[in-house]
Amino acid sequence: MKEILKITFALTVSCLIAAAVMGLTFTVTAKAKKHNEHMNVQETMQGLLGYGKNNPVPEDMTFHSVYRYIIEEGENKYLGYMVPVAEGSEEGYVLVLLDLGGNFVKKLDLTISPEAAQEEPEREAALKAVLDPSAHFTYGDTIVIAKRGEKRVAYLLPGEFPGFKTFIQVMLALDPQFTILGLEIMEHEEDPGLGGEIVQEYFKNQFRDKKFDKVKALKVVKVPLPEEYKKYLEKKKWKEGMFTEEQIQEIRKKYEDKDIYALTGATISSRSVTNGVKNMVKKFAYRVGKLEDALAKQHIQAAF
Amino acid sequence: MAATTKSNKQLVLDGVLKENPIFRLALSMCPAVGISTSVMNGILLGIAVLFVQVFSSCTISIIRHYIHPRIRIPTYTLTIATWVTVIDLVLSAYFPVAYKAMGIFVKLIVAFAIITMRLEMFACKNTLEKSFWDGLGMGLGFMFGMVTLGFVRELLGSGTLLGHDILGFRPLLFFILPSAGFFVVGLMMGLFNWVDVVYSRRKEG
Repeated sequence: MKEILKITFALTVSCLIAAAVMGLTFTVTAKAKKHNEHMNVQETMQGLLGYGKNNPVPEDMTFHSVYRYIIEEGENKYLGYMVPVAEGSEEGYVLVLLDLGGNFVKKLDLTISPEAAQEEPEREAALKAVLDPSAHFTYGDTIVIAKRGEKRVAYLLPGEFPGFKTFIQVMLALDPQFTILGLEIMEHEEDPGLGGEIVQEYFKNQFRDKKFDKVKALKVVKVPLPEEYKKYLEKKKWKEGMFTEEQIQEIRKKYEDKDIYALTGATISSRSVTNGVKNMVKKFAYRVGKLEDALAKQHIQAAF
Repeated sequence: MAATTKSNKQLVLDGVLKENPIFRLALSMCPAVGISTSVMNGILLGIAVLFVQVFSSCTISIIRHYIHPRIRIPTYTLTIATWVTVIDLVLSAYFPVAYKAMGIFVKLIVAFAIITMRLEMFACKNTLEKSFWDGLGMGLGFMFGMVTLGFVRELLGSGTLLGHDILGFRPLLFFILPSAGFFVVGLMMGLFNWVDVVYSRRKEG
């Protein structure tokens, strides 16, 4: 009996010490970690629009976030969009409720600044303040709209879909006509060397420049990737003078309407990404259309 | 095994060659087979294991007189898990670039047999200094094993080394599939034993 007490005591103490060490490290590193994640998302977004170290984001470029929530009030289910609105020089947020058919229900003013809106707890507090106390809401996703001056340049949308093993998380950039500007794989757990190749430029860059009409019917073909196309896709390996401007245009035109070339030995992963992207674009185009309609009809001056 | 009489240099060398975790002790075979598809993976996992092994060995050898003998293994596991978590958190916070590549490997290490085994066989019976060198040797030995496996598998499976195209084609896709890991590990073990036999025979003769 004495022995077991001793063991229990020793184990409890070791666990407590371990927990204290881990907890301490977590507290110390939490802030830096969050900052990193935020920077990572920002960098990816800018990268998708073609900006990076050598090509900084122009000063007149602004990013506006729209947060989508699913709101349940008793029997009724709505889609709630937190839309940034321009009020003079200040940017505020309104909550636009649409029913499942996409028809406008109501508009509620929110008191939250764009900086505060980046934090989920702050958004939830703002939503709670205006919604019926019985309402339930679930966070959907965040769409970022990039604007240069007064012109809308791109939509950046995060997405998640099942891959070969588990979910693949991506970030997709679309231009206002829903042509794909770029695809970035954020997280995945596909097999290294096989499905893991989806992160390679010669796969993910195939989605570039695909027009909305093409994306709607995008398929995967099990044909070897043509050599010139592969060279063209691997932008990071480009050397000075490898392609002339005409050649780039020519290759781009040639492959614009082609389907996605499957990865060797990873047809399932290739197909998952292709279908995932296809669905993301289709759904997004539908949603954004409905939202814009509602905003225009209600004369809500959105910031984007 | 009582306290060791080997010199520090001998401890490190033994870890790499005579008691190589993968080829001689045949421990931690799951990661060896699963992850060693490229040289880069080998290096990264090697570094991660090296750190966890050294830190855990040192911790255990410091507290070795206070560990209740009946709960040795839970204590080892707890120590390893703590260090893995700490390294994971620190890496993700301050070295995001390295973490991007190493992240998944670091979390795997909690379940590595080689680390627990080294704590049980060595660190709990030896001084801090000796445990440090033993941990270093084992870590390096593991890295050496992983890199060797990765070299063979990456070259034959994808025709590349460290991501650079060497052969220009993929000789045998089979080599990057998990099952090929067993073949490569087996052949490497054979090679190690054969070299050992030849070497000791020559010494005698």
